[in-house]
Amino acid sequence: MSGADLQVCAGRPGGPPRAGCLPHMAGWATRLAILVMVAWGTMPAQSIPYQRPVDEAPQEKSIGGGYKTPVVQKPLPRNSWLQVLDVAVLAAAMAISSWLVLKRRNRKSVVALAIGSLAYFGFYREGCVCPIGSIQNVAVAMTDPRYSIPMVVTATFFLPLVMAVFFGRAFCGGVCALGAIQELVLLKPVQVPRRLDLALGLLKYVYLGLALFFALKPAAARDFVICRFDPFVGFFRRTGAPHMLLIGGAFLLVGMFVGRPYCRYLCPYGGLLAWCTRLARRGVTITPDKELDCGLCIEACPYGAIEKMRAVRRNCLYCARCYAACPRDGELARAKAQLVKLS
Amino acid sequence: MSEQFTRRDLLHQAARGTVLATMGGGAGFLVRKAHGQVVWQVDAARCLNSRLGEVGVEACNLCTTKCVVALSAVRAVNEHSRCGRCNICPAYFNITSAVDARGLPSEKLCPRDAITRKPIGKADPEDPANNFYEYLIDEEKCDGCGKCVMQCKEPLGLGSIILRIRYNRCVDCNRCAISTACPKDALIQVPVEKALT
Repeated sequence: MSGADLQVCAGRPGGPPRAGCLPHMAGWATRLAILVMVAWGTMPAQSIPYQRPVDEAPQEKSIGGGYKTPVVQKPLPRNSWLQVLDVAVLAAAMAISSWLVLKRRNRKSVVALAIGSLAYFGFYREGCVCPIGSIQNVAVAMTDPRYSIPMVVTATFFLPLVMAVFFGRAFCGGVCALGAIQELVLLKPVQVPRRLDLALGLLKYVYLGLALFFALKPAAARDFVICRFDPFVGFFRRTGAPHMLLIGGAFLLVGMFVGRPYCRYLCPYGGLLAWCTRLARRGVTITPDKELDCGLCIEACPYGAIEKMRAVRRNCLYCARCYAACPRDGELARAKAQLVKLS
Repeated sequence: MSEQFTRRDLLHQAARGTVLATMGGGAGFLVRKAHGQVVWQVDAARCLNSRLGEVGVEACNLCTTKCVVALSAVRAVNEHSRCGRCNICPAYFNITSAVDARGLPSEKLCPRDAITRKPIGKADPEDPANNFYEYLIDEEKCDGCGKCVMQCKEPLGLGSIILRIRYNRCVDCNRCAISTACPKDALIQVPVEKALT
């Protein structure tokens, strides 16, 4: 295309019209432009009525001079096979968690697993996608014919529940990032009075109901409150709304003394897991045949999950503190056995 | 250890079987209607800053203020193939500012100075008004305020600058915080292959 009709010229009032762009008139146009410029330069700020010079974008050919169009940066989203990897890591971590707690009965490795999960699901994956939030996606996908979720989200939601039906809340123990961060800050556990514990425990079902209520509204008014009010996701992302960071900090502060306040009293997914755990095939057991009746495990349990010398599976969060405190089982007992063998 | 199979065990197993079957059914239902990976993207036809007809209003900067990450995951992109490469680009210059000695507006529009301008093609030093200019937006500086997008659209510009999501910053929130605030519902979830075109 020979350029006259495509050439760019800054249209200005009083300046030359389009024809001014023709090559033979260029010198004249420049002189007039300078005149206008000088006249305007002496005036205070004022608006230039803008007139678009071109109607279509000039391409490499009409620009000439060997111009190459620069490539627009397009950072890619996360690869989908990495999402499948997330699900695989979730399944593996739950398997390890239940093996450590049910077979090895070893608290130290559970803490190590919790640190690993916090690093991966929390700080690396930045808290998304998690089974807790997926409640809302699953609920909406079940009811709204136009909403569907990727298979990885379906798997993320159902895997911990299936696990709970067989082995209890293995997910809560060393896998859930929200649980792990609270597990690690719990330094001076105090026992919550039983009645208060029970009453507060009902809150999570109220929260579950509210979350479903907001998620199941029509698409325009839909709100995912569990994600919006996730107290720890701000830490995982190292950024967030100030009020949520404050609430998260408060949870961690309370969590130094009251074991896992979010898990026990608010986590809606914990509610679902508690229901599934009632059917569990296996669960944490308190020294089935070597019992001392010393009650050290009851004092060691920060979650009120041991009643009358028996583990209450639906409240057990797989932290393995009871084993660590037991003189007949867990690390203490094994160390003693080692000593006996050596002497 | 021989254990007797009691009625309690039977009930337990039946309940477990029922729950597992229900979950399996639910999962099956969801998998049947499942789609592939979806990501958030700005629909330029809905976005207040780029949709036609919205003129004479302030640029909407909710993408900047509402995003949960510090520097918004939304940024402006200049689709060069649609760029008019104007001498006085209304998205680069603040066209209401005073004219300087070169005959160009003296102020830039971008509050973060993220756009660079350079002459391209066969430049005629005698006649700078008739040259083509390339406008490049710096990814790292842009925070998606949409001022340039607002200026670039018809009738002033050609609408080559639009808001897009950079997936190296987007954390793919379950419910995008911008989408809940967007007055035009322009933040939508699209299949990943569609988002990149």
